[in-house]
Amino acid sequence: MAVANVSTHGASAHDHHDDHEHSDNFITKYIFSTDHKMIGKQFLVTGIVWALIGGFLSILFRLQLGFPDMDMTFLKPILGGWIDESGALDTNFYLALVTMHGTIMVFFVLTAGLSGTFSNYLIPLQIGARDMASGFMNMLSYWLFFIAGILMFISLFIETGPAGGGWVIYPPLSALEQAIPGSGLGMTLWLVAMVFFIASQLMGGINYISTVINLRTKGMSFSRLPLTIWSFFLTAIIGLLSFPVLFSAALLLVFDRSFGTSFYLSDIYIGGEALPNTGGSAVLFQHLFWFLGHPEVYIVLLPALGITSEVIATNSRKPIFGYKAMILSMLGITVLSFVVWAHHMFVSGMNPFLGSIFMFLTLIIAVPSAVKVFNYLTTLWRGNLIFTPAMLFSIGLVSFFISGGLTGIFLGNSAVDIQLHDTYFVVAHFHLVMGSASFFGLMAGIYHWFPKMFGRMMDAKLGYIHFWLTFVGVYMVFFPMHYIGIAGFPRRYYSWTNFNFADMYTDLNMFVSVAAIITFGAQFIFLFNFFYSMYKGRKASLNPWRSNTLEWTTPLEPGHGNWPGEIPTVYRWPYDYSKPGAKEDFIPQTVPLSSTPESNLPHEAEQVKLEREIMAEEGSDILVANESKES
Amino acid sequence: MEEKLAYIEDAEQPIAMHPKKFALWLFIVSVVMIFAAMTSAFIVRQGEGNWLEYDLPNILWYTSGIILLSSASMHWAYLSAKNDQLGNLKIALGITVVLGLLFLVGQWFSWEALVERDVYFVGNPGGSFMYVFTGLHAVHLISGVIFLIIVLISSFRYKIHSRKMNTMEMCATYWHFLGGLWIYLFVFLLLNH
Amino acid sequence: MGFLIALGVLLLVSIIWMVYRIQTLVSVVKGSEKKVATGSNKVNAALFLLFLIGSGVLMFWYSIKEFDTYHLPIASEHGVVTDNLFWVTMAVTGIVFIITHILLFWFSYRYQYKEENTAAFYPDNNKLEILWTLVPAAVLTVLVVSGWKAWSDITAPAPENAHVIEVMGYQFAWEFRYPGKDKQLGNYDYRLINPTNSRGIDFTDKNALDDFPAQKVVIPVGEPVLFKIRSRDVLHSVFAPHMRLKMDAVPGMPTRFWFVPTKTTAQMRAELKDDEFVYEIACTEVCGGGHFSMRREIEVVEPEEYQKWFAEQKTFVEMDPALIADAPSEIKELAQIESAE
Repeated sequence: MAVANVSTHGASAHDHHDDHEHSDNFITKYIFSTDHKMIGKQFLVTGIVWALIGGFLSILFRLQLGFPDMDMTFLKPILGGWIDESGALDTNFYLALVTMHGTIMVFFVLTAGLSGTFSNYLIPLQIGARDMASGFMNMLSYWLFFIAGILMFISLFIETGPAGGGWVIYPPLSALEQAIPGSGLGMTLWLVAMVFFIASQLMGGINYISTVINLRTKGMSFSRLPLTIWSFFLTAIIGLLSFPVLFSAALLLVFDRSFGTSFYLSDIYIGGEALPNTGGSAVLFQHLFWFLGHPEVYIVLLPALGITSEVIATNSRKPIFGYKAMILSMLGITVLSFVVWAHHMFVSGMNPFLGSIFMFLTLIIAVPSAVKVFNYLTTLWRGNLIFTPAMLFSIGLVSFFISGGLTGIFLGNSAVDIQLHDTYFVVAHFHLVMGSASFFGLMAGIYHWFPKMFGRMMDAKLGYIHFWLTFVGVYMVFFPMHYIGIAGFPRRYYSWTNFNFADMYTDLNMFVSVAAIITFGAQFIFLFNFFYSMYKGRKASLNPWRSNTLEWTTPLEPGHGNWPGEIPTVYRWPYDYSKPGAKEDFIPQTVPLSSTPESNLPHEAEQVKLEREIMAEEGSDILVANESKES
Repeated sequence: MEEKLAYIEDAEQPIAMHPKKFALWLFIVSVVMIFAAMTSAFIVRQGEGNWLEYDLPNILWYTSGIILLSSASMHWAYLSAKNDQLGNLKIALGITVVLGLLFLVGQWFSWEALVERDVYFVGNPGGSFMYVFTGLHAVHLISGVIFLIIVLISSFRYKIHSRKMNTMEMCATYWHFLGGLWIYLFVFLLLNH
Repeated sequence: MGFLIALGVLLLVSIIWMVYRIQTLVSVVKGSEKKVATGSNKVNAALFLLFLIGSGVLMFWYSIKEFDTYHLPIASEHGVVTDNLFWVTMAVTGIVFIITHILLFWFSYRYQYKEENTAAFYPDNNKLEILWTLVPAAVLTVLVVSGWKAWSDITAPAPENAHVIEVMGYQFAWEFRYPGKDKQLGNYDYRLINPTNSRGIDFTDKNALDDFPAQKVVIPVGEPVLFKIRSRDVLHSVFAPHMRLKMDAVPGMPTRFWFVPTKTTAQMRAELKDDEFVYEIACTEVCGGGHFSMRREIEVVEPEEYQKWFAEQKTFVEMDPALIADAPSEIKELAQIESAE
């Protein structure tokens, strides 16, 4: 068993605080911590809690859809007045459930829970930094997110119910209390919570970007960054550019709601009176919202893809195929994600000419996505695959990414979208490609980095069972929705018995609901595994997956500052797996090229000379240290 | 030798900038995005017709002048700090604060001028946008003034001098940005109202 | 109730099973270091293959068996075009879907960990990368161009002779208005809406005098029809699934969609052997608690029948003369002349 070498570096004292391991008390260590690792864990646990809430909400409305005649009186203890005398779910509350499920999952779980956790946890560890650029801002980022969560949570329990206009909060529905009860206090809380959330995301994003740019260790050039870091970095850039736009959209909505302006409202007669608002444009909000909303999809997805790249390479014991192509395709996705937003609005009444432009741009974005898929497949090809739970989830992610991505080609085509827009086909599409794929990325990340986070291993067998139940379950839930969608079932319907064209899939809906309940139930296996292993799991070794990246060179439970001695220097890219001639099937990034002459490629042999010169200047102990650890 | 340096220095300090200063720039980017969204919304909405036309208050010309002046005095403060002329630094910072407050007062009067023209916050979006632009900019400017005052206080404590320019530089950057932002908004309004 | 019991049983089983696992976990804690890959590796690899075959069979079986259920019959001219596009896209993506999944799961099985094996060091191949950038790009270009042609035809201005029908959405139903003999819809203003004038029609506009309401959309087969769509309160979306028609209704911003119905309701009934069949309109933009109940019907009839029906309809003014009570006298005279015709 090779132990990763903790390289002690002589002269690279370019970081300022060597006095890691402050004497922390409980509050500064676990609550108001400025250590990126603790903040990452805080994001993770909060994200898991929100995932449970969001998942539970979906079970509630799946019950309604799968078993429309069910007597829901037994839910009265939780839902109270939202269940009427006859045991039926309130229709407005149904919409509130759908809305909150979407909001929670997209923003709180897959944005904060995924990118918040792993960007925080991995960026300093994988680039070789003591901490984030600003630990204080990082802490603030978490606590703003926490406040946003509290506000959103409160809104679930108020009398008029939480926001109910869909997670996209299109006005006028979201602006007028008369239109739906959720647009009263519930919507106000939603908006305030989102302002806190946006502030949290911006602080996080600013931190991630400046950390990646400024605090990389020696030798960690951009061409040696693990793909995880690339994905977090690009995600942060997308967030920095798109969240402010959501802020603007929300601000104008607040003015419309509370001050009587007419940015989005025009010519409305509701509740027996004509409103004075005139000259507003409801489509304007959709433009602003989707300018965030579409990049948001990639904010959710890119970190998952980054994690997958890392996990697949490690567990295939192969370099990721096409490292540069992977980076280029992520860059392509980043840029294109800002110019495709209006494909959500083909039938919104906007100028059809805009529709054609956005159709072209949208289908272009399929190309870098396709490249990524082919690269994953080639990485698996002729590998030596070790199916750790993380690896299983990564393969599952690739499968979802293909299934959900391909249906995007239908929806991006405006002519085909006419029929499919806002049907269950769309629901199936985005739940696979961004919901489930990102969720699997999150899971892969947890299983893979759990040993680093908590110094213990999660139980692999429970992980396998969790994976198979979830993987099969997710397909059982979302695959049938394609058929329902092709048949034209509109989404956000409380029931479809009113319509002849839609009243024929009771059995399939029941099937979907049962599958959803089982899938949700399977997550408790994970929960058990997670919390049990945190305290009682098998002690992890320093580098349990025999991985190349820097985080595995830290002590088992790294303190504040991450490395007890000097920060290791990086000499190679992170994907030297199964290099021909090498003793082991992996060569950590900290191993100098000069110490592995047997496996160096021709162009690397040239770099060795350079490397030696530098090391000679820096002090002679480096080579020795590395070599002695290696044996 | 140069190649060698690039090889190792490459990652150490890729850009010669303090992380905090870099973070400020990123913050500025996000503020730019807010206003980019607002002005785009303005154009999109204006293109749809039913738009209130009115003359911009003349006082905006004066406030634009004030903010340009304040940028000049800010630069003076910056130079003074750089040359360790601590007396001048305090004066220059003080002038900038006063000019900033004057600007805010001027913006308030521009609102009064708008009301005189029967252009209200509540009503046609053509008018509402005007209030949102000026208001949102004023909020940012207030944050800039607060930053200025903090710097002013630390200048009295002799915490700003040629070897400790970080805060000063950040404050100057932010202030110039706010000035530039207003000029952008003003020109935008002149061209599009 | 049976469902609840099933759920309970499921929970119980999982609890028992967890207790069992706790014990095995304890033994793991005491146990020795694991190997790189245990026997589970083989099981997982085999399961991937099993999943591929099982789910593949299930997908094909269901897709073929249920085709007539999920494939709605088409009743409009452009619907044939968009459905063609849909199935072409389905063929292309279907092939990619199947091939990539076979590769994904087959590789997972084929290249599972074996101690004697070494993974191939294969970091890049520019030719391959270029190949699979260009091929999807080319295929997508074909799809986009054909989609774009269809889209520009569908969204082109309606023909001059199109039958105009106003569709107005409100919480929670649709209202329809026909322009009457003059083929001109009268003006409207939302401020004129009141209990007797739910559409806010401006009856001082003479075009409005012969406008008439309808409980359902009646349209002639084979002739172009133009829906002028608006909303009275929040966003709605007109969705006529058999017509492959969908367009949002936006307050303050009228939208439109035109189409040519190709089959009468009677023809469709005969074809589907279903005497109950009707074309339906639904709402597909969430609009509040009654979103799911905004149902209206479309009846497609032969042109002669349509003319007959059209002539029989009573105008707003005929139904409620009080509507023009405040109108100028010449409007009242006009109305009298029209009703006398």
